[in-house]
Amino acid sequence: MTVDHPADLTIVSLLPRLLDTNGDAANARVLAQRARWAGLSARIVPVHAVADLPATVDLVVIGSGTDTDLVAARDALSTLAEPLRAWLTGGVPVLAVGTGWELLSAGLNLADGSSVDGLGLVPGRAGALPARVTDDLVVDADGLRLLGFENHLRGYAGAAAPLGTVDYGTGNGDGTEGAVDGSFIGTHLHGPVLARNPQLADRMLGTAAAARGLTLTPTAQTESVDGIAKAARNQVAVRLSLTSE
Amino acid sequence: MAVRYAPAILLGRVARTLARWRKPGGGSAVPGLVVNTIAPGFLPRTLNGFPGGLVIVTGSAGKSTTTKMLVAALRAHGLSVFTNQSTANISQGLTSALLERVSLTGRIEGDIAVLEMDEGHGALISGSLNPRVVVLTNVMVDQIDRFHDSDMVAAMLAKIAARATGSVVLNADDLHLSRLGDGIAPGVAVARYGVADEVLAANPRGLGYTLTSPTRLDAADGMVLTAVSGLDATVLVDGRVHTLRLPARGTHYAVDALTALAAARSALLDRFDAAVAVAAISSIPPVFGRGEIVSVRGTTVEFVLVQNPASLQLNVDSLDPDTEQILVAVGSDVRDPSYLWPADTSALGHVLIASGSKAYDIGLQLAYDGVLVDRIEPDLGRALDDFLASPEPAHGVKTIIFSADSMRRTRAHLGLETNEADPS
Repeated sequence: MTVDHPADLTIVSLLPRLLDTNGDAANARVLAQRARWAGLSARIVPVHAVADLPATVDLVVIGSGTDTDLVAARDALSTLAEPLRAWLTGGVPVLAVGTGWELLSAGLNLADGSSVDGLGLVPGRAGALPARVTDDLVVDADGLRLLGFENHLRGYAGAAAPLGTVDYGTGNGDGTEGAVDGSFIGTHLHGPVLARNPQLADRMLGTAAAARGLTLTPTAQTESVDGIAKAARNQVAVRLSLTSE
Repeated sequence: MAVRYAPAILLGRVARTLARWRKPGGGSAVPGLVVNTIAPGFLPRTLNGFPGGLVIVTGSAGKSTTTKMLVAALRAHGLSVFTNQSTANISQGLTSALLERVSLTGRIEGDIAVLEMDEGHGALISGSLNPRVVVLTNVMVDQIDRFHDSDMVAAMLAKIAARATGSVVLNADDLHLSRLGDGIAPGVAVARYGVADEVLAANPRGLGYTLTSPTRLDAADGMVLTAVSGLDATVLVDGRVHTLRLPARGTHYAVDALTALAAARSALLDRFDAAVAVAAISSIPPVFGRGEIVSVRGTTVEFVLVQNPASLQLNVDSLDPDTEQILVAVGSDVRDPSYLWPADTSALGHVLIASGSKAYDIGLQLAYDGVLVDRIEPDLGRALDDFLASPEPAHGVKTIIFSADSMRRTRAHLGLETNEADPS
């Protein structure tokens, strides 16, 4: 991981000091470990300002923050708008959770009637739900079950395409959950989402690896950990009277 | 005035006897509930009635250890001290504890009272209290139920601090508290304490505070922790260096000791003798984890309670590296499994069993942190039985790291004393 031996994959964690309220910056840790288990080297670069940016970026994760820090986080993200735009148009996988996702949208309508402008980098807008949603969230993403915990004040409308439909919980508030736009994924799923739903992690890693001409080879370690994730999902599913996987 | 609370006190004692009869060791909140219902003035009047006044210790973490150390320091100065057990945090528990010691005239033997209060509860009842000294440890975000963000915790501490009549003792390294100190009313002293640059630099992950002050406290402005090495720490008090022996490894214990020293000076004023206080603090029994080592089923077990990601990190980092038998249990109180992920658990290295109703989720985090997990057993009772029955470790003691929910279930399963009304 020195300059002489750059890692195969560089994972940027954006604003982990401001946007890690729910531990979602850990999605970067999940990507890095899965890459390592699959035989690739990986490094995580926390980016708080332009000066922190590495020369190459293969994957990007953005976590969720508190509403107290909304404007501070938006202003900090604004300084990184150009690299963000370049990653999104360049097909770099970007995962944004909760407020980190909302701040990339056109903006946020808050419950008190005020609004906060977003960076306008992905289609859609966040709008206040009648009340805070705090519960398990189960999503059907084209037959793939995604399961996590949701804890948010706002829904989402106008996504390019949803990540999936809601089997249990609230999600965007209209029966759908999340947003997909090219290599971008936005979601309300905590867990962290990539640990609990490794297939989503591997979708991102596969895209990033292919762009480098690399392949991911699953190992016994990956399978063992994915067994734990499946048991965690099934435990929630059974409690919610849903079928087990 | 003296006779006014006699009927309530008598009734409370009857309730206490009944509660103990029904459930030995348990039900300690019931008598307090009885008294608080029929005589709501009992608690504040009794607490405000100590000749040497009331000292309240509050903040997110370190309250129990700081309280124990402060009490030891005051007793070493010859004071008779009334204090609460760390589990009796709520009004009922506190009233029940007072009932143990109060005379029918409503008086308690003792020169001074030192009470540990959690920030939420303290903010609720502090309006009726007139503490002479309020001691603030730190602001860490405890998001288990997401009711609090750090601003709310700081506001609750400010409310308690505003009740101080003599002085507010606060951690200058915690930016929330440092700012709070700037707003204390004139006439009330602000006693600051903090760590030196070297101590902070030795903790690359910081000290766990939500916001850390950008600069360190000048030794001219308060007591400073100048070095920590294993169980030894040095503090600078009025230009003199004192050497402290800590009850357990970890910078947070050294900061607790520093807090207790600063609090002792504010409580004792001219009677304060730093050497006496340092000796008393250095002689308190070893603290394990968050303060408990238990003999059960013929073996010795260390209990480590984890209440938030910061305390998980601090406890993981300060665990004896030789600890070879670890059980980690996370229960239903951690609703969002992401919650603990900001902590890096890799230093645990090897965990024998992950358990609790969130066994798979904590197992997942441990696995991604590179910790070898031998077994995931959601049935906590079975996990405990097998863990305790396994051969003794060659190094260290069997160690159980648990969330509050798993702690309650563990204690119940092992038949250990519990306080059902304790919210933590």
